[in-house]
Amino acid sequence: MKLYIKAYSSYTLNDELDIKKELKQKYKLDTRRQDAFIHLALYGGQLLKEKCEIKKDDELYLTSGVGNADIVQKTNTYMYKENQPLKLFDFINLLGNTTSYYVAKSLGMKGKNIFQISDNFTYINTLISAYASMLNSKKDAIICSMDFMCEPDVIMKRVMGLEQNSKVVSSVNYQKLSLNPDGAIAEIEFGLDENSTCKTEDKPHETYASYIVNCALRDKKDLLHVEVFEDKKRTIKVKSIK
Amino acid sequence: MVNILSYEINCAKSLGQRALADGTMIPYFSLKKEIGQNQKDIYEAIKDVVSKVLPKDREKTALLIGTSLIDWYLVDAINDLAYEKKEPYSSKKRSIDSYAKELAKEFGLSSFTMTINTACTSSANALLEAKNLINAGVVEKAIVVGLEVFSPVMSSGFFSMELLSTSKPKPFAEDRDGLVLGEGVGAILLGKEQSPYELIGGFSNCNSETITSVSSSGEECVEVMQKALENCALNVTDITAIKAHATGSLANDKAEMNAIKKVFKKEPTIITIKQHIGHTIGASGVLEIAYLLQNSEKNGTIMCNYFGFGGNNTSLILRKNG
Repeated sequence: MKLYIKAYSSYTLNDELDIKKELKQKYKLDTRRQDAFIHLALYGGQLLKEKCEIKKDDELYLTSGVGNADIVQKTNTYMYKENQPLKLFDFINLLGNTTSYYVAKSLGMKGKNIFQISDNFTYINTLISAYASMLNSKKDAIICSMDFMCEPDVIMKRVMGLEQNSKVVSSVNYQKLSLNPDGAIAEIEFGLDENSTCKTEDKPHETYASYIVNCALRDKKDLLHVEVFEDKKRTIKVKSIK
Repeated sequence: MVNILSYEINCAKSLGQRALADGTMIPYFSLKKEIGQNQKDIYEAIKDVVSKVLPKDREKTALLIGTSLIDWYLVDAINDLAYEKKEPYSSKKRSIDSYAKELAKEFGLSSFTMTINTACTSSANALLEAKNLINAGVVEKAIVVGLEVFSPVMSSGFFSMELLSTSKPKPFAEDRDGLVLGEGVGAILLGKEQSPYELIGGFSNCNSETITSVSSSGEECVEVMQKALENCALNVTDITAIKAHATGSLANDKAEMNAIKKVFKKEPTIITIKQHIGHTIGASGVLEIAYLLQNSEKNGTIMCNYFGFGGNNTSLILRKNG
């Protein structure tokens, strides 16, 4: 399976930038009723928008290793620990596709919009889904891969299957993909099952493969990336188009 | 051509009641055999329907789940670590897709699994994604599961939005007063082998006016229905029946009725299902199609509509011929 990458954006959360303020002041976006998970997705989207044309009928796939754990924690605390009623917009933000709705709105997109999770191979399986959809629709697609680490980060480490002393980061990575090579910066090849006896190191976030792809694009380098889970591996090859 | 090879359904038979976290009782359609809100019970409920639609060639069969559920694995991790400080520390990769991943392993299915979370359109979108995967040759078959179990948090959300009926669901009725939630688990096996039921195709988009509803004119619903017809190379006159989303809510039923009138000059037969099994949110895509096939003897081409929170709208088109 092969697709062409037209543009990409990457952002890893740090303390230097107030994303919410940046979304309001620089990008003039309405950030009310949204939380930090949504803001991270929106910010990555705005960075992508600066680099390419986004059409209203481009398909949008948003994937995450775990999802918005912050809002699950918040609503559980309200309801079960503090016996408070559920707040309306917390309820809305609990839905996975709330984030992809706000991303689509902020990018002027009105087409297909899927929020999905796929254990262990979440980015590569999303690439496969997007590829299968694009073969049918002949449209371009945007993949947003993101992970947001809530506090305490031990919660995320536990559901990510990591050691307690592992380092985890919040990160958002976008690619605009096409079946058409015109104007592409790279081609990306990927496949389904291959048996493996290898082991890989812990990832700092679940959608790390998407981050690695973007690093190769940034450095204009070719990439062979292998992800392993139990006895299966998935391979991604990125070839820069210079 | 992608066909519905078999289906299985586990949903309510009659209307009962469930309690929200604060003790408020709401009308609710529960599973025939109630299950607990825990990972094991949820896993067993999915396993039960999946085991009944398993094909012979399992290793080329993907498993996709459509659900609006929040992740019970996540809830457990939060409860254990943020509140109780459970020791010793333990970890295992978990997400809402873990049900699919574990079942794929247990039944020897393809390791391609996916869980789609687009509110009321979740399992309808999963059906479209599965069809694409089969047509692209990624897999030969796909089991698509619709899953929704009672969640006090989700139900409280609908309650606080004043969307719930206090009596019973009356989709498209003049005296409708809201929706009634339900839980259910269903599975549909898709593949290219011959079958009396074809999933011709459909369309999905995200263009609603607000995050919780479509506009009263129903323009968003018009677009999704027209694009579904276009994608399937069908005319309005080819559609013999519409399985409406028809939740029983005042605003969204009105929008859908307006949209149907705009798309179809002569309205086909309208079918509503939520008065029988409740609104099963993310499971409704799979459950309502399975319910329709199980309970309708008429042949024809049926449009199935799903409109959800997060602006997500989906129309599927099926052909029933035997």
